[in-house]
Amino acid sequence: MASILKVDTLTGVTTAGSISVTGEGNSTTTNLQQGLAKAWVNYNHTAPSVRESFNVSSTTDVSAGIATISWSSNFSNATYSPVIMADADPSSHYAFPSTRATLSGANAVFTTSAHQFCTHNLGATVIDAFYITGQYLGDLA
Amino acid sequence: MASELRVNTLKDASGNNSIATSFVAGGSAKCWAITDNGAAAPDSLNLTNIVDNGTGDFTFNIATDFGSVNYSHPIVPADNDGGGGQDITVTSKAAGSIRIGTIRDDSNKFDNAHFLSVSMFGDLA
Repeated sequence: MASILKVDTLTGVTTAGSISVTGEGNSTTTNLQQGLAKAWVNYNHTAPSVRESFNVSSTTDVSAGIATISWSSNFSNATYSPVIMADADPSSHYAFPSTRATLSGANAVFTTSAHQFCTHNLGATVIDAFYITGQYLGDLA
Repeated sequence: MASELRVNTLKDASGNNSIATSFVAGGSAKCWAITDNGAAAPDSLNLTNIVDNGTGDFTFNIATDFGSVNYSHPIVPADNDGGGGQDITVTSKAAGSIRIGTIRDDSNKFDNAHFLSVSMFGDLA
């Protein structure tokens, strides 16, 4: 029988932030909250502008090839997992993303409220990317 | 009290923003992890451990296996200590594990990567 649940918020009974979802094979479960992307963005660094996003409060054009994405709802820690792809304007050939803050920098900038990353070309020179798409998995505060 | 809710579609209280629960289950990451220059994973979901097979060569062991080897595994390219780019290669894959190599662009040799970020989407067993 088909069913529809109308609700604004889902909350676990035993633990508010933990709901199990039965997997596709019907024999295991996965955690709903932990498996959801907590933020995503389609960002044009050459403009710069955000084409579309979820849970992104702002972006900062730090300098050529370096950008910061800030969250509306922060993560609970700075160990979340980013998946980023980048593509340069066709006339500029290639762009590759890095999860580090700068191409030669020693430290990445992961904070609970923002992530700074850079994009570079084949020659290891930082360049603005035309398409930057990122998804972030981790625990919200 | 534990409870189980069986439902096909979720909507907000106004009856808008409908999403089938198949998208909730199918669209959720079933495993993800981040590691920095080694086998430790400071944060992860559904991960048993990461085995360090050698420089730039790591096996991610999944706690609850996928139903097949056909899951999707976006991996963010990372960088090395020299500041250059890294390439990613998947050297073997099973329902319960994936072995990943990280290779320096400038030398074509295996090298540990900073902030190797892995996520996996697919059907659980």
